[in-house]
Amino acid sequence: MNLSHDDIRDLAAGFVLGALAPEEEAAVRDHLATCREPHPEIEELGGVVPYLAASVEPVEPPAGLRDRILHAAMLARPAEGGAQAELTAAPTPAPAPLPFPTAEARAARLAGRPSRVATWAMGLAAVLAIAVLGAWNLQLQARISDVEGSLAAATAYQQGVSRVLEVAAQEGSQTALLVPADPSTSAVGLAATGADGTVVISMRDLAPTSGTQVYEAWVIVGDAAPVPLGGFIVGASGTGAFSGTTALAGPGAILALTLEPGPGATTPTAPVLTVGTLAASG
Amino acid sequence: MTDGTTPGSLRAVSPVDDADRRILAELGAGRLGGLEDLYDRYRAMAFAIALRITADATLAEDVVQDAFLGVWRHADRYVEGRGSVKTWLLSIVHHRAIDAVRRRRPSTELPDPEVPPPPQLIAADVWPEVAGRLDAIQVRAALATLSDVQREAIELAYFGGLSQTEIAERTATPLGTVKSRMRLGLLGLRRALVGEGAEPMPEAGEP
Repeated sequence: MNLSHDDIRDLAAGFVLGALAPEEEAAVRDHLATCREPHPEIEELGGVVPYLAASVEPVEPPAGLRDRILHAAMLARPAEGGAQAELTAAPTPAPAPLPFPTAEARAARLAGRPSRVATWAMGLAAVLAIAVLGAWNLQLQARISDVEGSLAAATAYQQGVSRVLEVAAQEGSQTALLVPADPSTSAVGLAATGADGTVVISMRDLAPTSGTQVYEAWVIVGDAAPVPLGGFIVGASGTGAFSGTTALAGPGAILALTLEPGPGATTPTAPVLTVGTLAASG
Repeated sequence: MTDGTTPGSLRAVSPVDDADRRILAELGAGRLGGLEDLYDRYRAMAFAIALRITADATLAEDVVQDAFLGVWRHADRYVEGRGSVKTWLLSIVHHRAIDAVRRRRPSTELPDPEVPPPPQLIAADVWPEVAGRLDAIQVRAALATLSDVQREAIELAYFGGLSQTEIAERTATPLGTVKSRMRLGLLGLRRALVGEGAEPMPEAGEP
């Protein structure tokens, strides 16, 4: 729709009040974006609109809202162009795919120089695991009323996390925060291993599996090759839960997930999607 | 039409006060303290607007949370000189609240919530000059100078999220009449506001 300045005058009041039909609004926006001439009617009428908000008597929001917002903000880093969050790059996933540790990386780790990601995960996993769960839980509670799908996802994830926390509460347990290692995913989750070799993992925001696809969990100890723990499938909710056993998981062991074309892989055939390093939870 | 009678220019002179400036600096540096201060300063206005529009306390909380998180994530989108922090924040609250109520009316086509307003609209900010002198009662008094049908048309759009066409249907009024009520109502409100709170403003339209 090509608009004349007379058209703009005609549409100005509806435009500043957001009351135009979508195609009219788009046409006005297009015009304003390209026309260098002044549009006094837009400014004259638009300048009044903020006062409409001022006509409302202030109402104190519920006290809990402040904490909810701050919790959520801690997890939502300012966007590109904004500055880094207070947690300095802590929640920032590694930008490039994280391969399984190379021989050199393993040697470096053995020499007491763990990788950046491993250091970060070990240092913060225990604290962040709880913070992440808590804040995400709060965010979900806030949205559940109008997002039906989230309810199923939240329930599934919470059940998974409950199992993780049960294991994490045991003496001699280890925990890991699983964070994205590949830009294709934003999946995160928690894992815990018990002294008896139990391994439980709870994930959210995974892409649903299709066909024979499975998410395979791997454990990597020191210099050894990745050892498969088992696989699990993920439905539309994006949540995944895994439980299995391993004799290998000790402090510093790495847990990783890959999306494999079928179950039973003995060596990873796909990039690592999420990764975390186990650390004593106690 | 109304060229000769348009009230004077209400351009912002000093759009951001010191407290806002400090909040913006904190937000820009990604410090949560800035968000806390912003919240503490404007939470009651933000919640009141969200509540008025949604008429649902839970939804209003979600809207306020979304708006503050939007500001937190996109503090860099604020452009000084184009309006006060308060106007910026409350316009985001308004936008998201309208979006939320329209979402509950499946028949309504939704505008893209992430499209920022054009600069011509952001620039039109009169708040700073008069915010200190005008309280809600005075603004309501200015609204009261409008005819009932003008006020209704404006409020159905601004607080109800209705389009001009929907307002015409709901009030059984021709579309052209609704458009003209909105336009005359906004102009009348502007005249009343300039008279109420902005005596020192230059009356550019009346030299």
